[in-house]
Amino acid sequence: MTQIATPSPRVRRLLPETATYITLSIAAFVSVFPFLWMLISSTNTSIDIIKGKTSFGAAFSTNVVNFFTQVDVPLVFWNSAKVSILTTLLTIAVSSLAGYGFEMFRSKMRDRLYALVLLTLMVPFAALMIPLFMMMGRAGLINTHIGILLPTIASAFIIFYFRQSTKAFPTELRDAAKVDGLKEWQIFLYIYVPVMRSTFAAAFVIIFMTSWNNYLWPLIVLQSNETKTITLVVSSLASAYYPDFGVVMIGTILATLPTLLVFFIMQRQFVAGMLGSVK
Amino acid sequence: MALAKTGGLKRYYDVNGWLFIAPALTLIGIFLIYPIFRSLFLSFYSGKGMMLKFAGFGNITRLANDPVFLKALINTTTFFVIQVPIMIVLALILASLLNMDRLKFAGFFRTAIFLPCVASLVAYSVLFKSMFSVDGVINQALMAIGLIGMPIGWLTEPFWAKVLVILAITWRWTGYNMIFYLAALQNIDKSIYEAARIDGVPAWARFVHLTIPMLKPVILFTTIISTIGTIQLFDEVYNLTEGKGGPADATITLSLYIYNLTFRFMPSFGYAATVSYVIVLMVAVLSFLQFYAARERS
Amino acid sequence: MDNRTILSRFAAAAFAGASFFATTAAFAGEVTIWCWDPNFNVAIMKEAGERYTAKHPETTFNIVDFAKADVEQKLQTALSSGTTDALPDIVLIEDYGAQKYLQSFPGAFAEMSGTVDYSGFAPYKVQLMTVDGKVYGMPFDSGVTGFYYRKDYLEQAGFKPADVQDITWDRFIEIGKQVEEKTGKKMMGLDITDAGFTRILMQSAGQWYFDAEGNLSIENNTALKAALETQQKILQAGVYKPSSGWSDWVGSFTSGDVATVTTGVWITGTVKAQADQSGKWGVAPIPSLGIEGATHASNLGGSSWYVLESSAEKAEAIAFLNETYAKDIDFYQKILTERGAVGSLLAARTGEAYMKADEFFGGETVWQNFSDWLSKVPPVNYGIFTNEVDTAVTAHLPSLAQGANIDEVLKQIQSQAEGQIQ
Repeated sequence: MTQIATPSPRVRRLLPETATYITLSIAAFVSVFPFLWMLISSTNTSIDIIKGKTSFGAAFSTNVVNFFTQVDVPLVFWNSAKVSILTTLLTIAVSSLAGYGFEMFRSKMRDRLYALVLLTLMVPFAALMIPLFMMMGRAGLINTHIGILLPTIASAFIIFYFRQSTKAFPTELRDAAKVDGLKEWQIFLYIYVPVMRSTFAAAFVIIFMTSWNNYLWPLIVLQSNETKTITLVVSSLASAYYPDFGVVMIGTILATLPTLLVFFIMQRQFVAGMLGSVK
Repeated sequence: MALAKTGGLKRYYDVNGWLFIAPALTLIGIFLIYPIFRSLFLSFYSGKGMMLKFAGFGNITRLANDPVFLKALINTTTFFVIQVPIMIVLALILASLLNMDRLKFAGFFRTAIFLPCVASLVAYSVLFKSMFSVDGVINQALMAIGLIGMPIGWLTEPFWAKVLVILAITWRWTGYNMIFYLAALQNIDKSIYEAARIDGVPAWARFVHLTIPMLKPVILFTTIISTIGTIQLFDEVYNLTEGKGGPADATITLSLYIYNLTFRFMPSFGYAATVSYVIVLMVAVLSFLQFYAARERS
Repeated sequence: MDNRTILSRFAAAAFAGASFFATTAAFAGEVTIWCWDPNFNVAIMKEAGERYTAKHPETTFNIVDFAKADVEQKLQTALSSGTTDALPDIVLIEDYGAQKYLQSFPGAFAEMSGTVDYSGFAPYKVQLMTVDGKVYGMPFDSGVTGFYYRKDYLEQAGFKPADVQDITWDRFIEIGKQVEEKTGKKMMGLDITDAGFTRILMQSAGQWYFDAEGNLSIENNTALKAALETQQKILQAGVYKPSSGWSDWVGSFTSGDVATVTTGVWITGTVKAQADQSGKWGVAPIPSLGIEGATHASNLGGSSWYVLESSAEKAEAIAFLNETYAKDIDFYQKILTERGAVGSLLAARTGEAYMKADEFFGGETVWQNFSDWLSKVPPVNYGIFTNEVDTAVTAHLPSLAQGANIDEVLKQIQSQAEGQIQ
């Protein structure tokens, strides 16, 4: 009896395997569907989108033209690119130095400070928003890109990430370099950076995405259409008096493209870098 | 000679140590530590706009009698208490499935599931808003397969609006957490699994008794990061509900309430700062509890 | 920072210096204006700007189109941070929020009493921009309400236009049930995340969230009570199509899904934008609450222009507003016919455009009607906390559908509002 009830080993192996593929396929479909929806909607008129039309339409070129007439696309992209690339590079510079410093030159005092830095991870942005905003006002940095940049550069999370990854940096390399008479900043620049390049790549991906998609702080700081980033443009198009959802969809596509590209170009290094950080 | 050398080494350590961390410390000092104290200071003041007057504990009294604050607090708590565990478990399951040997299309699945993380919070909120509208594609699909007879008011009924917010953030962040787990899993020696498998340990037991304990530090880390993120929830609700946190304040979060107090209502910076301190306290207590729980069990 | 600002500052300074020597002081420069709604405020301001530039070629205009929430947020942000650099010269503010800005940021807006002759405007508009006897803005449009209905749908259900004149909301629901039965269309779109409809109903019976002295008035507000009761009946009768937010609500009638719209006159442009629906619409006075003091007239929204005290082109901005909005009758005729803007300059209402019949509305003299209803709008005091109480009301709207007791709801709104307005 039991003989019949128990499935054969082949079935027993195949069953979970099929379940695995089904689960992963569902997850992949759910993950990708909104992107598909974005593409479909971008080809439909606003009324069709509101009514939930699920097939491709013929309004794509109209939507694109409308988007380009309503939005100064080159300027908006330039603003977004400027802010996110500068933020990314500066954050990487400051945080990798700090991660290296905290890990390589340990002392009681610095370990305590590191703990303090980690504590700031818990401070929500909402609690900083008002004083930061007043500070920027007094410094005359409202409506400037520097105003957005400055408070986002020092990131406890990225410092933590770099310190964790630095643990995997081979100390023999550093010792050898010291014997060769290299100064500490030379070791950092010429040995640490090249060796840890996948760590840097992963950091680049994470910071660039966060910064490109940053919303609340730019929403508060940026006041004029000349300084707006693409994220703000999409949000105000969608909350316009009579939003044209076809145009909004073009906006979401354009806002998503750069992060998508960065991710696809750097995917391999990104995964390698993440691997290094959780060792 | 030996003494001088250690002294020199200490000096070398200190000079370099401080130099390397100085930029970060300066920035954190100015843009994190100072504002957080300034916020504390502000929370003792009240008034319209810039005409602030010392109010002592007036803002705390106001907090205690403010039903909207209570709603925002309850909503925020509901969101992370329900959403974070669902997401973490989902991410863990997906990561261990993706980590299986001889899995075909692993790269495709991984990329697809990670894809939501590249979507901007604003863009995907706008997308979800259109997908989940009364006549939207989701209601159409659910009705087509016979799951529901009437369209669900995802954005007009308080309960469903909450569900929608949870669905949205889970969609956006599961892949992100999954990547952390996947990275950690790939560092684990596969032979442990192989041995367990040969010993006849079923898949779920391998997941519970091998995967989860080995990933504990990563799980702890992602749980804390996700909790902090959910407690700060703003972009999604702001863009899904036209900045109102409706219907019936069902989706108003603490961050959104602070924003409203500062930029939408009669500006009351002092009171907004007081509300923001509630978030600080919440995050601190929760992180402490999570660390503590993790330490206890190990 | 911004080269253009520096340049324009420099230019302004140079001109100020030049005018010191010249006998006739000439204005020069660009006036920046923030407003929302490209079909309405933005287009109207462009028209006004062109008219002014035609007479004063040295003055140009930069009209910036933001979402309404963006305008309000940016204004509040800049004023509270004391950073006026990024602010425009002229900004549009909705009437509900006017007193909030004027009282929270004293000195931020330019006083215009003395320059502008306010006696020519509807008094309620002037009152909204007055603080301590000083007047701070240029009154613009009115939000007098109308009841827009689809003649074709009503006809299918067996109703003539005369059947919807001067009705009560109870009758409205009865008609709605028949309309749905016969046409399958809902009677109205209802956005439960917004209290605009509640405000229309409440003001039609002459009350507001605050009494004449500005004290909170919720629990004993008979008009608010009737407004909520009416909405509860509508919700329970199911004669509405639920909308999630403004754009969804607009979509409910532009797409032809509902038979009627009750809102401010400024919606006319949007209704008329659906050219294929020409001749199918009619406008009637809004239904009445049927309680003591109830009328068939109310108001929703409406806004006015304000000049920033910090503006480098302050004098020029005021002169511009004074010349167009306070004097140019012909301008008002044009914005009425083209955009459906009912201004608050009384003299403009005798113009010919107000007598014209509108083909879109089957040849009715709709503007004459709106002008008529405008004079019947019960005056109320908006106070400075309308936004706050509004959220308290909005928060309790969904509970009406579940049959909540109205007196209980009022009590809850009262206590929530008290917590908000400190």
